Amino acid sequence: MFVRLLRESFTRNPRRKLLTGIALVLGMTVATATFTVAVDVGDQLAREFRSLGANLLITPQADTLPVEIGGVDYRPVDQGAYLPVSDLPKLKEIFWRHNILGFTPFLDVPVTGAIAHNAGPPQNFPAMLVGTWYSHAVPLADGTTFTTGASFTHPWWKISGQWFADGSKNCVVGALLAKTEEISIGDVLNLSASGRASASTVTGIITTGDAEDNAIVCPLVVAQDLAAKPDEFRQVLVSALTKPADALAIKDPNSMTPTEFDRWYCSPYISSIGHQIQQVLPGTQVQTIRRVAETEGRILSRVSLLLWIVTIAALIAVALAVGATSATTAIERRAEVALMKALGATNFLVSGLFVSEQLLLAIVGGGIGFLFGAGLARQLGETVFGVATSPRLVVLPVILIAAALVALIGSWIPLHRAANVSPAPILRGE
Amino acid sequence: MFKRLLFHLLRGNRVRFIVALLALTSGGAVISALLNLDLDINRKLSQEFRSLGANLIISASNAGASTLDSSVLFGESAMQTVAQTKLPGLVASPYLYLVANANSKTGQNVVVAGTWLDAVTRIEPWWKIAGDSSLSRGDLTDCFVGRNASRSLGLTPGSSVQLFYQGRSARFTVAGVIDAGGSEDSQIFVNLSVAQQLASLDNKIQLIQLSVPGSASQVRAAALRLQSAFSSLEVKPIPQITEAEGRLLARIRFLIFSTGLLILVLTALCVLATMAALAMERRKDVGLMKALGGSIQRVVRLFLAEVGVLASIGGVAGYALGMALSVWMGHRVFGASISPRWEVLPVTVILMLFVALAGALPLRLLGNVRPAVILRGD
Repeated sequence: MFVRLLRESFTRNPRRKLLTGIALVLGMTVATATFTVAVDVGDQLAREFRSLGANLLITPQADTLPVEIGGVDYRPVDQGAYLPVSDLPKLKEIFWRHNILGFTPFLDVPVTGAIAHNAGPPQNFPAMLVGTWYSHAVPLADGTTFTTGASFTHPWWKISGQWFADGSKNCVVGALLAKTEEISIGDVLNLSASGRASASTVTGIITTGDAEDNAIVCPLVVAQDLAAKPDEFRQVLVSALTKPADALAIKDPNSMTPTEFDRWYCSPYISSIGHQIQQVLPGTQVQTIRRVAETEGRILSRVSLLLWIVTIAALIAVALAVGATSATTAIERRAEVALMKALGATNFLVSGLFVSEQLLLAIVGGGIGFLFGAGLARQLGETVFGVATSPRLVVLPVILIAAALVALIGSWIPLHRAANVSPAPILRGE
Repeated sequence: MFKRLLFHLLRGNRVRFIVALLALTSGGAVISALLNLDLDINRKLSQEFRSLGANLIISASNAGASTLDSSVLFGESAMQTVAQTKLPGLVASPYLYLVANANSKTGQNVVVAGTWLDAVTRIEPWWKIAGDSSLSRGDLTDCFVGRNASRSLGLTPGSSVQLFYQGRSARFTVAGVIDAGGSEDSQIFVNLSVAQQLASLDNKIQLIQLSVPGSASQVRAAALRLQSAFSSLEVKPIPQITEAEGRLLARIRFLIFSTGLLILVLTALCVLATMAALAMERRKDVGLMKALGGSIQRVVRLFLAEVGVLASIGGVAGYALGMALSVWMGHRVFGASISPRWEVLPVTVILMLFVALAGALPLRLLGNVRPAVILRGD
């Protein structure tokens, strides 16, 4: 009897059900999409922020004070400490190894450059030679290789021409130096430093907006040969995916309780990643590049908060809109309620019927809405970040429960009122 | 007569009326809040990005920012030219670098930056300074010391350091120790005029760092305006910051915009559903009116007027709620107030009217209503 009533109700007048159903599907689509995007957006934005460049700087601990102006170290090569290149794969062995997106070692060597122009003897000029990786495959302990270098940590470096191949006898020249010394692509530069010499072919002119504009950038091994520092470098810049700092992150690790320390260690804060790097590379000093890290953390937490508020506002709008629609359809059925009561149905039976109707609608509508919403979120993620947002099954029960609640609350008030009035006036059409 | 009918219709079914109004108001609130926020968000986020520090550099056109050569120096009067451009929100600080010896004539080499000590902390707000962080521009005896320099020279806030350069010397008291995580950590920041005296380079500076608020295009425009004021100097944007900033801002805005659009579509469809139900409900009234000789145009006009009143009330109420929401969001997210904008009101009301009238589309069916069928109750 109950089941027949329910079936009749759906087959006899599908239009009314359709209206609530469509509202539920749409509402839950929007709810799923905004919710999924809001959950994922923090990670995606954090990755986006890596276009700002490295956020950690590793230097040897026993170093003399760098004489560094505008990004170039003016210390002679025989001064200060160095780090071995063979230590670098250890960066990918820390707890948060997957959050290390790239690292680039640097070795600055003051050199004398010489270039032979068409007429006359070679012109000598002093210059800074920056040895680095552009795109270098680092073999890791687990047998895989990790490709990294300036192409990952310095994405704003612009080149006209070509980058040097790793380990080749080629170099690229900063735009300002190229202008003052009249160097063009294809020229051969003779570089010499304290008795050692090397010839490099210029393959490109770079613009960085920084000290490299006035320097020569070459493969790390070339600079190491010239400086007689095989397999060594002066500093390494690391780009790590981090979580915005909160109250725990700014605490001094030494004053933490063991549980706090574990939680801190297992969270990808910039400070805990720095701590883990320090552990695998003893004798180094790991500094947070505060300019990047601070700004990133602040903007990230603000934007995520903003998106959460927008999501909640969207959810409230969804609830009201779906509630309003199911209320509309419920009002239409007051006469039906009255008739059922006049024929002797108990309040319990009447409300049971309506509750099951709404629940059925909510489950079907919510389910379809979830599918649409997941697709929409995927599309949105792809358009904004170029990475598809993966659907989260965790959201499905939340969406179904929300749909059921909204549909029930929306129809409860008008039906409740209908159930409480005496059937006669409603049936008379008053 | 028309007015009386309208009034009666509006009063007739209060539950229905409230439900439709609720849908319209909630939609209007969310949309006007997002519109209001969207107008402000670029400015607010650009302000946040300013904590990245300088985004423009002015230097002599014949050199990069790095050379320690007297040919790249230029007159301090350039700072006045910068001030004369009157760009809003611009902060600038001049720099003169020299490599001095600390504590004795043959002491450790350290980079000394002569600058405006009040402007530099505003341009680089990410500096974590232990000790006194606010120095005045005229302060000749205090200095900031980078973290590495303080460790290697054994300096703490309050201790003093003497700097030697080519036979001249100057003594400073350490006001604060800077933790910046960059080359600043191994430098000492002192008053510009003292550094000029130390180097015997009166009124000379090496570069100017500027922080200009605004989007990437605004920064480029500011760079062009500054460049036109200088003939012999070069104004360069720092691409690391300007490029990343532009990209991130565009993405964040697009995300918020698309969420807003989703909500708008949803609200439209739900209001549409409510309105369609309302229109269907009206079939009985229409049948009666037609039976009494009312023309179909008149009936439709009446219904449209009803919908219009609903949408206007919903739009205005939604605007009021939405403004409250956006002001609260501004406080919560940016810690700054977002002022309500009046231009959002007509947009909200028009959008709500549009949505409500779209919902009244099934009204076309009313023309087909045959009074006898309806009045019989079939």
